[in-house]
Amino acid sequence: MNRRVFLRLERRAPARLAEPISSIEPYEEPLQRSDVLHLLRRLTFGPTPELVEQLVGKSAEEAVDLLLGDPSQEPPVPSPGAWVNQAQEDPRGVDIVTRNQIESTWQANFKALQQWWIEQMLAETIPAREKLTLFWSGHFTTEFTYDLGYIPPQVLYRQNLMLRRMRLANFRAFLEEVTLDCAMLEYLGGTLNVAGTPNENYAREMMELYSTGIGWYTEGDVKEAARVLTGWKSSLYSDAPAPNGIFNTWFKPSDHDIGAKQYLGMTIPARDQDTNTEYLVRTQEVRRMIEILFQQRPEAIARFIVGKLYRFFVYSNPGATDAAVLSALMEVFIANDFELRPLVRTLLASKHFFDPANRGVQIKTPAEFVVGLGRQLGVTLSGAADGMARMEQDLIDPPDVSGWPGYRTWISTKTFPQRIQYAGQLIASLSDAQAQAFVRSFEGWQSVETFVAAVTEFLLPRPVSAERQAYYQAILLAGAPKYEWPSIANDAQAVGSRLRSLLRAIVKAPDYHLC
Amino acid sequence: MRRRDFLRTATALATTAAATSIAGIPVRASSPILSLPPRVMESDNVLIIIQLFGGNDALNTVIPAEDDEYYRIRPTLAIPKQQAWRWLTTDLYLHPALAGDGVWGGGFGGLMDQGRLAIVQDVGYDNPNLSHFRSTDIWLSGINSSDPFVRLSEGWIGRFFARVLPDFPAVLPEHPLCVQIGGTLSLLFQSAKGDVGIALTDPQKFFELGKGSTPDEEPLPEVDTFAREFNYIRSIATQADRYSQAVLDAYSRGRTTVDYGSRGLPAQLGMIARLISGGLKTKVYLCYLGGFDTHVQQQEADDVTKGVHPSLLTQLASGVAMFMQDALQQGFARRVVGITISEFGRRPYENGSRGTDHGAAGVQFVFGDGESILSSRFGTAPNLHELDANGDLMYQNDYRRLYADILLNWFDATPEDAAAILGDRIAPLNVIKRRVTSSILPADGARSALAVVPNPIVGGGGEVRVQLRRLASVQVEIYNLRGQFVGELYRGLLPEGTSRLSLPVLQAGTYLAQLRCNDALVQTTFTVAR
Repeated sequence: MNRRVFLRLERRAPARLAEPISSIEPYEEPLQRSDVLHLLRRLTFGPTPELVEQLVGKSAEEAVDLLLGDPSQEPPVPSPGAWVNQAQEDPRGVDIVTRNQIESTWQANFKALQQWWIEQMLAETIPAREKLTLFWSGHFTTEFTYDLGYIPPQVLYRQNLMLRRMRLANFRAFLEEVTLDCAMLEYLGGTLNVAGTPNENYAREMMELYSTGIGWYTEGDVKEAARVLTGWKSSLYSDAPAPNGIFNTWFKPSDHDIGAKQYLGMTIPARDQDTNTEYLVRTQEVRRMIEILFQQRPEAIARFIVGKLYRFFVYSNPGATDAAVLSALMEVFIANDFELRPLVRTLLASKHFFDPANRGVQIKTPAEFVVGLGRQLGVTLSGAADGMARMEQDLIDPPDVSGWPGYRTWISTKTFPQRIQYAGQLIASLSDAQAQAFVRSFEGWQSVETFVAAVTEFLLPRPVSAERQAYYQAILLAGAPKYEWPSIANDAQAVGSRLRSLLRAIVKAPDYHLC
Repeated sequence: MRRRDFLRTATALATTAAATSIAGIPVRASSPILSLPPRVMESDNVLIIIQLFGGNDALNTVIPAEDDEYYRIRPTLAIPKQQAWRWLTTDLYLHPALAGDGVWGGGFGGLMDQGRLAIVQDVGYDNPNLSHFRSTDIWLSGINSSDPFVRLSEGWIGRFFARVLPDFPAVLPEHPLCVQIGGTLSLLFQSAKGDVGIALTDPQKFFELGKGSTPDEEPLPEVDTFAREFNYIRSIATQADRYSQAVLDAYSRGRTTVDYGSRGLPAQLGMIARLISGGLKTKVYLCYLGGFDTHVQQQEADDVTKGVHPSLLTQLASGVAMFMQDALQQGFARRVVGITISEFGRRPYENGSRGTDHGAAGVQFVFGDGESILSSRFGTAPNLHELDANGDLMYQNDYRRLYADILLNWFDATPEDAAAILGDRIAPLNVIKRRVTSSILPADGARSALAVVPNPIVGGGGEVRVQLRRLASVQVEIYNLRGQFVGELYRGLLPEGTSRLSLPVLQAGTYLAQLRCNDALVQTTFTVAR
C-alpha cells in the first residue's frame, strides 16, 4: 500500500462558517486531497490511497460520475455461493426437526450473505456502488427476521441485486420494482393481501415510509391501495407454486380484487375476469396507482426522498439554513421526472456538499466505522457483521420497517463501547510487520511530526490541533527523543506496539466517529 | 370571573405551555429555590415503563365479554366469555393468557386480587395516528401534534429531567437517571440538553466495555456543527465510563428472590429488580416487548391461550407478577410503580388473515403496591357501537393522564412543570396515591373539601364549594372527563370555612373539578345537563 500521496500538505484552514453556503451549483475548483477525502468518506466506505490518487485534480462532477458508475454497464457482482439458487421447503408445513434444519440453513446462508456484502464494501473502488445500495437497503427495508419467521436469504440476495441495479434509476420505476419484489411481498404481508380481506401493511408503508412520508394520504387511500395490490404472491419454497420460476413473484387472479378503486381522488377502473391477468393488472393497476401517487403528490415525494438522501450523505440534522438547498434539490428531482442520477450527482458535486461547514459533521454508521477501519488499516475483517450488529446495524435485518433511525442513535452508552472494543480487537490483530508497513506507507514517515500530521489527516475528518498532534507524537515516542523515531520505526516490534497504542487513542477520540 | 376572561386565561396558559415545550427550549425552573435539588432527586421513587411495541390489541387483552357486538366483529378471534378471567362480579374480563392458573402467580388476575394492579381503558388522543412510528413518538414525547411535520425530538421523561435539573449535563448525577434495558436509546430519554438515560443489556459487559472509554480530548467550544457532534459523542463516551462502574456495583450487590428465567420481558424485569435491590439510584427504567403488530394469525384457531398475541400477554403478566412478588419479598415494592404503554390499540373488526389492523384507543396497566396505587379499573368497557369515522375505538382517557399522575403524584413535579412538560394542563388520573396528609383540607379529604352544587347543573348557574380548615392558597380548575383542561376557576387565597365559586356557563357534559392546595389534590366529577 502506498500512502505517499498523503504527504502533500496543501491543507486549507477550514472556514469558521456557522452556516454552510446554500448553493447546489457545481463545486468548480479542481479537487484537492482534502476535498477527495471528504467525498470518499461520504460516498464510499472510506478513502484508500489509490482512490485518492485517482481523483485528485479532477472536477467534482468528474469524480462523482466515476464513483457513481453506470448500473447498466457493470459486470455482475460475484455470487455469494451456490446456495443462492437452492430452495428449501416451507418450514411452516414440516415437522420440527426438518424445520430446524431449514432455519439453520437459512441462518448460515444469511451470515454468508452479510459477509459477502461486507466484502464488496471492503473491496470497492470505482464504481462505488455499495454506499448507495446500503442507503436503499435502509430505505426499502426488509428484515431477515420478521414476525412470521425468516425471509429466505435467497430472495434477500436477489433484492440486494435489484437495489444495486435500480440505485440511480427513475424513482417511480424503482418503487414499482420494490412493490412487486418477492422479499417485500413476503415481508409486508403482500402475499396475504387477498380480495375481500385486504392486508394494509405494504400499502401504508409504501406511502408513509417509502415515498411521500406521513400525512399525504387518508386512511381511505391506504385501504384502496391495499385493494389495488391484492393477488401477488412470492415463490420462496421448493414445495410452493412457482409459475414464474423459483424466487420470483407471480399473480393469482382469483385473489385480486377486480372492483374499481378510488385512490388519491382518481379512479382505477374495475376489470372483468378476461382482463384480470398478471400483465394487465401490473400495468393498469399497480403501475397506474404509482403514477397517480407521483402525479398527485410530487412535492411530498421529492421532499421526502431528497431529505433522506441529504441526511444520509450530507448531514443528518439539517437546519433552517439548509432548507434552500433542499428545495433546490427538490426542483431538480421533479424537473428530471424523478430520475435519481441527476439528483444524487447534483447533491454530491455541489458547492454545498464541499462546504467546509459540512465536513466532519456526520456521525459514522457502524458500517462506515467497521468497513472504514478495515480499509484504512488494509486488513481483512473478522466477525464484521456480528460486530456491526452489536453496534446496532445488522445488515439486511434492520430493527423494524422504518429502518435504522440513524444520526445520534448510532452512539449510545451501549454502542460506543462496542465500537471501541471492535476496533481494539482489530488493532490488536495488526502484526508488527503490518504496523511497520502501515507507517512506511506515508511519505516522510521518518519524521514523527510529518507522520502524525499525515496519519491524522487520513484517519480524522478535520485537522487536529497542535496539542493533539504533540500528544499523539508522545504516544509514538513513549519517552524517547524525537530523533529516535526513525530507529523506532525501523524496529518492527517497537513500532508495532507504539502504532497500536496510537490507533487505540485515535479510535477513542470523538472525531474518529465523525466523517 | 367572567366567562370570557376565564376562557382567555385558559387559552393563553395552554398555548404558552405548549409552545414552550414543543419548541424544545430548555426551561429553567421558575422556583426561587433553584439551588436546592428538585424533590425527585431526594425521593427514592422509581418508575418502570413497559413499552409494548406494535400496537397491543386492547380488545383481546381486556375482553368486552358482555357485549355481543364483540363476538360479531371478531368471529375467529373473540375470547369466549367462559374462558376469560373475570374480576369479581364486574364486567371486567381479562384474556386467559393474562390472568388465571396458566400464568405465573395468576398473572394480572393475581395482582388484581391483591390490589396491586390498575387498568385504564380506552386511552388515546385526538386524530389518532395509525403509523407505528408517529404514534410511538406521540406516546413517548407526550406531545400530540396533528402536524406531521413537527418533529418530535424529546421524550416527556427527557424534558422532565432537563427541566428540573438546570445544571444537566454539565453536572452529571452519580447514577444514571434513566436506564433502558436493551436496544437503541429511546426517544423517551432524549432531551434538548442531551440524553438523560443509558441503554444496557448486560451489566458485566457494560462495565468491561465502558471502563476507560472517556476520550482523552476535552470538549470543544460549540462554535459549529462539528463541535456540537464532537461534544455529543464525547459526553456519551464519558457517561459509558462513569455509569459502567455504578451499574456493575449495584448489579453485584443486588439479588433477586424469584426465578425470572433468562429470556424476554421477565428477564428484563429481573435485571431491573436486581439493580434496584443493589441500590442503583435510577429514577426511570424502560423495558420493551415487541411483536404486537398482529396483522396475521395473532392467535391459534383451536386454543385461544396459544399463538403470538397470547404468548406476549403471558410474558407481560408473568413478568410483572414475578417482579411484584420479588419486590415485596425484598421490601422495595412501595418504591416502585410501573405502567405499560403501546402506540395504539387495534381495529375492532378483525381482518381476513385472523389478525387485526392498526387501530386507535388502547388499554394501559399500572402496577404497584397497594399503598402506592389505587387498584381498580378506570373508565368503562369500550363502546363498540359508536366507532370513529375509520371504524376505530374512541378514547375515554387522554394518554397524558397517567403521565400527569407520574409527574405530579410520583415525582413531585409542580403543576407548572407538569403543564410545560405535557404541553397542556392535564388532570392526573389519580391512580397513584399521593402520600400527603393535609392540615388544611378537612380530614375526610375530597368529600367535604370540594363539591359542585347542584349536581347535575340544569339550565346554567352552579357553584363549586371549597371547604378549608384555615386560610390557604388554592387553585381550582375544570377539566373534561378525558382529563383535558377546560379552564381555571380560581387561583389565590381562600378563607377558613366554606367558599362558594360561581361556575361559568358550560356546555352540556360531564366534567372534573380539581382543587389543589399545597401538596394536596382532590377531584370531583359533575354533570351539566342541557
